[in-house]
Amino acid sequence: MADKSFFIDTTKCTACRGCQIACKQWNKNPGTKTFQKGNHQNPPDLSISTFKLVRFNEVVLPGGEPQWYFFPDQCRHCMSPPCKEVADTKAKGAIIHDEKTGAVIFNPKVKIKSSDFKEIREACPYDIPRYNLNTNIMAKCTMCFDRISEGMLPACVKTCPTGAMSFGDREEMLEKANKRLEEVKGRYPDAMLANPEDVRTIYLLADDPKKYHKFAVAMNPFGITRKMALKHLFKPLNHIRHLVG
Amino acid sequence: MKITRRTFLKISGATAAGTLMGGLGFDLSSAELYAQELRIKGAKETTSICCYCSVGCGIIVHTDANGKVINAEGDPDHPISEGALCAKGASSYQIAINPNRLQKVRYRAPYSTSWKEVSWDWALDKIASNIKKSRDASFMEKNAQGQVVNRTNGIASVGSAALDNEECWLYQKFLRALGIIYIEHQARI
Amino acid sequence: MTNHYIDFRNSDVILNMGGNVAENHPVSFKWIQAAKDKGAIFIHVDPRFTRTSTKADIFVRLRSGTDIAFLGGMIKYILDHNLYDEFYVKNYTNASFIVNPKYSFEDGLFSGYDPAKRTYDKSTWALEKDEQGIPKRDMTLQDPRCVFQLLKHHYSRYTLEKVSQITGTPVADLEKVYKTYGTTGTPDKAGTVLYAMGWTQHTVGVQNIRAMSIIQTLLGNMGIAGGGVNALRGESNVQGSTDQGLLFHILPGYLPTPRAQWPTLEDYNKTTPSTKDPRSINWWRHRPKYLVSFLKSMFGEKATKENDFGYPWMPKLDPTQDASWLNLFDEMYKGTFTGFFAWGMNPACSSANAGKVRQALAKLDWMVNVNVFDNETGEFWRGPGMDPKKIKTEVFQLPCAAFMEKEGSISNSGRWMQWRYKAANPPGEARPDGDIMYELFKKVRALYEKEKGAFPEPILNLKWDYETDGHFDIHKVAKEINGYDLTTGKLMANFVGLKDDGTTSCGNWLYSASYTEAGNMAARRKKTDPTGLGLYPEWSWCWPLNRRIIYNRASVDLDGNPRDPKRPLLRWDPSGKKWIGDVPDNAVPPMGTNGAYPFIMKPDGVASIFGPGLNDGPFPEHYEPLECPIEKNLMSSQRINPVVKIFEGGPDSFASCDPKYPFVCTTYRVTEHWQTGVLTRWLPWLIEAEPQVFCEMSLELAKLRGIKNGDRVIVETQRGKLEAVAIVTSRLKPFTIAGQTIHQIGVPWHFGWLQPKDGGESANLLTPTVGDPNTMIPESKAFMANVRKLTKQPAKKAVKG
Repeated sequence: MADKSFFIDTTKCTACRGCQIACKQWNKNPGTKTFQKGNHQNPPDLSISTFKLVRFNEVVLPGGEPQWYFFPDQCRHCMSPPCKEVADTKAKGAIIHDEKTGAVIFNPKVKIKSSDFKEIREACPYDIPRYNLNTNIMAKCTMCFDRISEGMLPACVKTCPTGAMSFGDREEMLEKANKRLEEVKGRYPDAMLANPEDVRTIYLLADDPKKYHKFAVAMNPFGITRKMALKHLFKPLNHIRHLVG
Repeated sequence: MKITRRTFLKISGATAAGTLMGGLGFDLSSAELYAQELRIKGAKETTSICCYCSVGCGIIVHTDANGKVINAEGDPDHPISEGALCAKGASSYQIAINPNRLQKVRYRAPYSTSWKEVSWDWALDKIASNIKKSRDASFMEKNAQGQVVNRTNGIASVGSAALDNEECWLYQKFLRALGIIYIEHQARI
Repeated sequence: MTNHYIDFRNSDVILNMGGNVAENHPVSFKWIQAAKDKGAIFIHVDPRFTRTSTKADIFVRLRSGTDIAFLGGMIKYILDHNLYDEFYVKNYTNASFIVNPKYSFEDGLFSGYDPAKRTYDKSTWALEKDEQGIPKRDMTLQDPRCVFQLLKHHYSRYTLEKVSQITGTPVADLEKVYKTYGTTGTPDKAGTVLYAMGWTQHTVGVQNIRAMSIIQTLLGNMGIAGGGVNALRGESNVQGSTDQGLLFHILPGYLPTPRAQWPTLEDYNKTTPSTKDPRSINWWRHRPKYLVSFLKSMFGEKATKENDFGYPWMPKLDPTQDASWLNLFDEMYKGTFTGFFAWGMNPACSSANAGKVRQALAKLDWMVNVNVFDNETGEFWRGPGMDPKKIKTEVFQLPCAAFMEKEGSISNSGRWMQWRYKAANPPGEARPDGDIMYELFKKVRALYEKEKGAFPEPILNLKWDYETDGHFDIHKVAKEINGYDLTTGKLMANFVGLKDDGTTSCGNWLYSASYTEAGNMAARRKKTDPTGLGLYPEWSWCWPLNRRIIYNRASVDLDGNPRDPKRPLLRWDPSGKKWIGDVPDNAVPPMGTNGAYPFIMKPDGVASIFGPGLNDGPFPEHYEPLECPIEKNLMSSQRINPVVKIFEGGPDSFASCDPKYPFVCTTYRVTEHWQTGVLTRWLPWLIEAEPQVFCEMSLELAKLRGIKNGDRVIVETQRGKLEAVAIVTSRLKPFTIAGQTIHQIGVPWHFGWLQPKDGGESANLLTPTVGDPNTMIPESKAFMANVRKLTKQPAKKAVKG
């Protein structure tokens, strides 16, 4: 199986939440008690019961008209998952990076200490990992590993009515993402792909990522481009090699 | 080194290079360990159509060897929905598997403060006898103008777009044979 | 729907108005997106900016209840700018027809109004006919009494400025929509409209749709791929349940219910629509065959020529009796009924003025409540404000199978009849609805056999033989609906062979051809698409006759060639003398070769721009909702539709322009719930996503009322009130109506006191008992309400992640 990726085109998402529920359905994750708090986003956040969450963000555009951005949030299945880098120093095999697909999987058989989990979560640039305090197991999107291993689409992708969600070979998804980006640039001049080189869940955003979600893109506190980072990072790379053995 | 969100980009960039050089951080054996049999492998597939809005999306319901529903998802062959389902359609499984489903016939006697469980036979016998009583008492052969109307004025019905076509047809047959004219349902509201 | 869901992809301009397609028909958005991917423009017109609006190329707001003003302005714009399809208007509509000289319209009233009875004498609206009885026409469209000129005159008052003052839509926004939609008036462009309850639930509901139908015929958008007037209906089988006659006024297949003034079959048949125009097919002329075949399906061998095929056994309404929903519950409230079935319905939450319904239920002796889950109707006797010890109503709650636990067909909005199979057994003692009604009738019949009773003939003579090996068999009912040739015992191939002499039976002529000797057509799953237009003629089956787009002969020119070569729905093959493409809306030759008009269900054979049959006027006219925010209708002295029935007294009261209820309120749905929530409130995944009733309001209104986002508020009307969570949002904005600032709020109607306990109440406690004068569909989309902050806010609860 080739390296896989998701492409999530938010310009096509209608927030029907089919993906949110299909994910729960496939994973048999329970519905949790929630309250209406003046927003349609519910449950309020990802959790051990919610691996996929459609975030609703209302913004007022210049000129006073509203826009409502929808962000079907999920694990990015990073090319180099920092959660795994940390986890490997804590409990061997707690996080698995599948060589064939690139899926980053939290091993439900490996327990993690609460304090270690905090570090793992803190390492994630997208704030994805969640933790069951009762069982000491971590949880998040599995890329529907069982489904994709059988050639099926992930549950969220399959259920998406509008084509906002795609899944397939990484090269194909990247191509699709870049092509779509060109198409929508006319209408959305600020449109962008969120960290496409770094992640296997590639979002197309029509506007400033912050208008979608705090963690829509990874933060870049140093003010350097990813290209620059690439050039300069052989040293840290070696450093990490040491760390993770 | 403590890895935080702040340092992600460094690592990320690094690994993009690292991957080219030979697969940093992958763990094949663990992935194999994790791999599990697909839950719906070998399950019986039954095609259906979603019960909610009027788009008519295709659903495949998977049942296990005991006939229990274990999964319900979009039917990829369906030309309208092509495998898609919205939040409601995607939750079909919870209609089938739900502890709150009505499973017993219940009866609430006049002035009672509670339900009691009764048998189908008892309930249908009593409903039939109520129908006859209401019908016989309210049946009108001629209206005030003396025109023949042959109708039952004392019973009304609402329902239902939740029924199948065949049930709808059978239901109107049942009601009209009883002489009922107050026949209405969701289509009016 | 005249068209079907996949057909959206064939449109150039898609207008969603009176609906919220992305939220309420989410998967159909696939085909809107497919159209957009090919460059189509998607327009959303709504009081609120919804999930649908986020994907619109053009979104504009209008005040609830002002759609006719909006659309009337579009009619004027199309006429003023010559955007209409002249060929189509002349040949396929009644634009050229001459109207009775006595027809008039003055200051909001059409000719023939009787203020005492609040009704119209419609005789002055008739179309003029020549000596042969054929409608008179002026093909130049210049005659001042022709429909086209009357149309021009009627809508000359709907100027951009006037419309803007009524709707609150800025003139520039109106122009943008009119201009864009008006581009579909050329034969090579297709425009479609998708509507839902946002158009029907008004005292001008039918005329809202009429107004759009006029636009669609002016632009030549009816009967073509990518066009049509498309009702996105709210339930999976509400199309089918209507087709099968579960309404007081129609038998299966839209045959009128018998009435007291037609005591015999002959009297009934005298009302069969007729025409003297040889070019009009007037398909309804076959109605007598359909009625007799229906009666044969009701009474079988007991229906004979001698006994009028059992026609005397059918119940008859009084001559003008309206037994529709609002009247039904009004009668129940007055104590008319002792018995009541709420079968697969939850009127305690779904009915307008639900508080009245809940009180009415207490006046019954008995009620049968059949449902998948417990509901507020079955439990009304212990609902809020009820004292069970004082309520006599006996309640039977019967558990039924859910959709995947039984077999049968449902019909979607595109008229596709799709077969569902049984996947699992129902839980516990729950049974399929069909089994329940089948057994129940057998018990009723046994009682009448044993004890006799009032007029037992229809009960004793009813054909009730739908079982196999002692079990109810749904296939036998499906076959009964399709019909039999009784001389051979074979299933009918279609309705063309039905007869009025008792030699055929057919439960519903529209569904004849659905289950033939070739098998169960609804169960077909073959995906051929010969036209390339997505008709999929071998997937399931569609009424009538598997015709996927009705009135499809309006898509060709007089020689039978497609007017839009890019989307050829039909083409006449002169050598083979047959149509190629969709199943033609009647297989007559093209109009130019001695054929017939394309609108075969209309007596005149053409689309009605002028509609003389409706109760409230031949042209749609703007009236304010029964409850409205302005004293004077800016269009005329008639503030409200002059023929609406007013329910007065008791629980029915209204408040227009009352400072106590200053805000326009509407009700609606969200993706995650369905109708009263009778299913979805019990599903943990859905109630997690939309847990509680809310009231959406603008930032401006919230400021005015001191309400913050997330506050608990009280929403109240003259009928009732409920507690809700405020969603303060920039997606709603105040309107400027005739110089005043008017605020709009909205509440979803999915909730009810029973489940979840903290979910809140039904929005229908707020809505008024008033209906459209043609359909009696309640006005749930525009009424007046107040909203205020709940003085005592509950303690903040922690939310578990």
